Amino acid sequence: MNEATQQLINYIQSQVIRKKGVSIEADTPLVSSGLVDSLALVDVLAEVERVTKMRIPAGKVQPKDMDTINLMLATAARVGRARG
Amino acid sequence: MSDIKLHYPYSTLPEALMAAEDDAPFVTMWHADDDFETVTFGKFKKMAAGQAVYLRENGVGLKDTVVLVQPQGIDLMASFAGALLIGAVPAILAYPTFKVDPAKYRFGLNGVSANLRARAIVVDEHFPEELLANLWRGDNTRLLRSVRAEAADAAGFEVAAINPDDTAFIQHSAGTTGLQKGVALSHGAVLKHLNRLAEVLRLTPEDSVYSWLPLYHDMGLIACFMLPMVAHLPLAMQSPTEWVMQPKSMLEVITKYRSTLAWLPNFTYQFVARRADEYDEKEFDLSSVRALINCSEPVRGSSMDEFMAAFKKCKLPPNTLHSCYAMAETVFAVSQSDFGGAGAPVRISADSDIFRKEHSVAKSSSEKAFEFVSSGRLVPGTSVRIVSDDGRDLQEGFVGEIAIKSDAMLNGYYNRQDLTEKAVRGGWYFSGDLGFLLDGELYVVGRKKDLIIVGGENIYPQDIEEIVSAHPAIHDGRVIALGLFNTKLGTEEIVIVAEVREEGSLANAEEIEKTLSNEIVGELAVAARRIYLKPPKWIVKSTAGKPARSTTREKLLREHPELQILTGETFDDERSNTATH
Repeated sequence: MNEATQQLINYIQSQVIRKKGVSIEADTPLVSSGLVDSLALVDVLAEVERVTKMRIPAGKVQPKDMDTINLMLATAARVGRARG
Repeated sequence: MSDIKLHYPYSTLPEALMAAEDDAPFVTMWHADDDFETVTFGKFKKMAAGQAVYLRENGVGLKDTVVLVQPQGIDLMASFAGALLIGAVPAILAYPTFKVDPAKYRFGLNGVSANLRARAIVVDEHFPEELLANLWRGDNTRLLRSVRAEAADAAGFEVAAINPDDTAFIQHSAGTTGLQKGVALSHGAVLKHLNRLAEVLRLTPEDSVYSWLPLYHDMGLIACFMLPMVAHLPLAMQSPTEWVMQPKSMLEVITKYRSTLAWLPNFTYQFVARRADEYDEKEFDLSSVRALINCSEPVRGSSMDEFMAAFKKCKLPPNTLHSCYAMAETVFAVSQSDFGGAGAPVRISADSDIFRKEHSVAKSSSEKAFEFVSSGRLVPGTSVRIVSDDGRDLQEGFVGEIAIKSDAMLNGYYNRQDLTEKAVRGGWYFSGDLGFLLDGELYVVGRKKDLIIVGGENIYPQDIEEIVSAHPAIHDGRVIALGLFNTKLGTEEIVIVAEVREEGSLANAEEIEKTLSNEIVGELAVAARRIYLKPPKWIVKSTAGKPARSTTREKLLREHPELQILTGETFDDERSNTATH
């Protein structure tokens, strides 16, 4: 598991889900399973930008692009631009 | 139109677009300082003509409805203008974004598109396949993927023969999901209103507009697309989701493009100002601003003061924070604060006791007075009545429902005669908003359905929410005050739900609740029956990012059955899945 994935797992578990005993993995569905409220994704996307050091045009991101950490990182690689 | 000064002497919207100088800059779509696109009016006309040809080739013609579901941007605007050029009737629907609940989005998309019965639905190439099934399609509906195309020569494009009374487009009432109401507006009505607006805004060819507002909302569509298109002004635009991710980008874009006008909902003023300490004041120069117009929510003086305090150091000129009351049903503005005279909205202080007990305004300078910020003077051609619950016209200074009649308003909701009959009575549109008139100014105080009536006193949830939000442990803006009807007492009682900033604060919940109770009693002289403190992100938010009152109410009642006993209401999961707001 790479560092970005681990950082996002830690962030989502501790800052977004906030439930004891819930652990997630890189391919755990987050929004479609109800673990993460879709409106919390603004904060999650900001964290993905921070972790990947990319700027991700939010207007180009679909709900399905954010359902797992793997998908988030793939989305960052696809539409993100390195921060100048 | 004899009494209107004709700034834009066109009879249809295509005529107004085609009259623009080709070299003049029109729209800049801004994503980042190294990622933006600007098109001139000449290029935009070619793009619009390209879309018009594409629609015609696909069987779309005069008076056909065209649904556009595309991301905020120049291509969406060109599709919209292309439909106008052939006399078709475009309607923009919200595009799915990552922060919208997919189930809620599907429900809204299906209902709204079914009501529009479109001849064509145009989605962009990235529109998710799995959502296509939620777009209503009749036997004759064409599903099209938009492709950027430019006509070689826009001047040679044959614009359809359109009458000023023909429907130009359908704009939807506020909100992004749920079964919104479509408002059909004619070319003549839109142009008449834009002429009125130009007059009250004292528009000049030197003006330029900034916007992050969605194009499916009247503020985004009328003030920030139709107005610059007809007045031939430049527009610097962002997508709402990109702005919300980077609130300071608004200041960056205004600085770069020397924007003079913007329309913003009230929450923006606090949202941006409270992040001001993250910015370097030298980064921004807001000296070009002529007016930032507070619109679409009740106007709070405190929010505007915070904004001015934060950004006067960025050269924001004094008296540039204005107010406006607007809605899709009247094309856009009902009232606008005066650009002459003091150059800022009128503020008054009213006796709080009299206001709550008699629902009327008596000017007062007491410390406990309520402050009201005017939404301005009526736009010419507009009349307003203030109507009591039993249908009587109220005098100046008394609060009632705002009913509006204007010479540029809706004929009815599209395909919804039932809703039209409910809202438009005797030629007056009943807004559902509460307000009062005083000295020629219109004051909007809240939504009729949100008003809490406790033992005959009128309490506005916003006043309670402001007190609770100011507590350091509470997450600013994430507070909802509700009136729950107590069947035993025969009156409403105040219940508050608020999110704490840090979950750890919940350990001190009892103490915080006590402090808040005392502050509410001290300032408003009413007691809240219960205050529920919740962890961050508990309150349900609307797709616009604001607390969703009715959905949060249902969530609270589900989690706290003791409140259901109080109100006699029950909430099961089935009902919650179909809730709209």
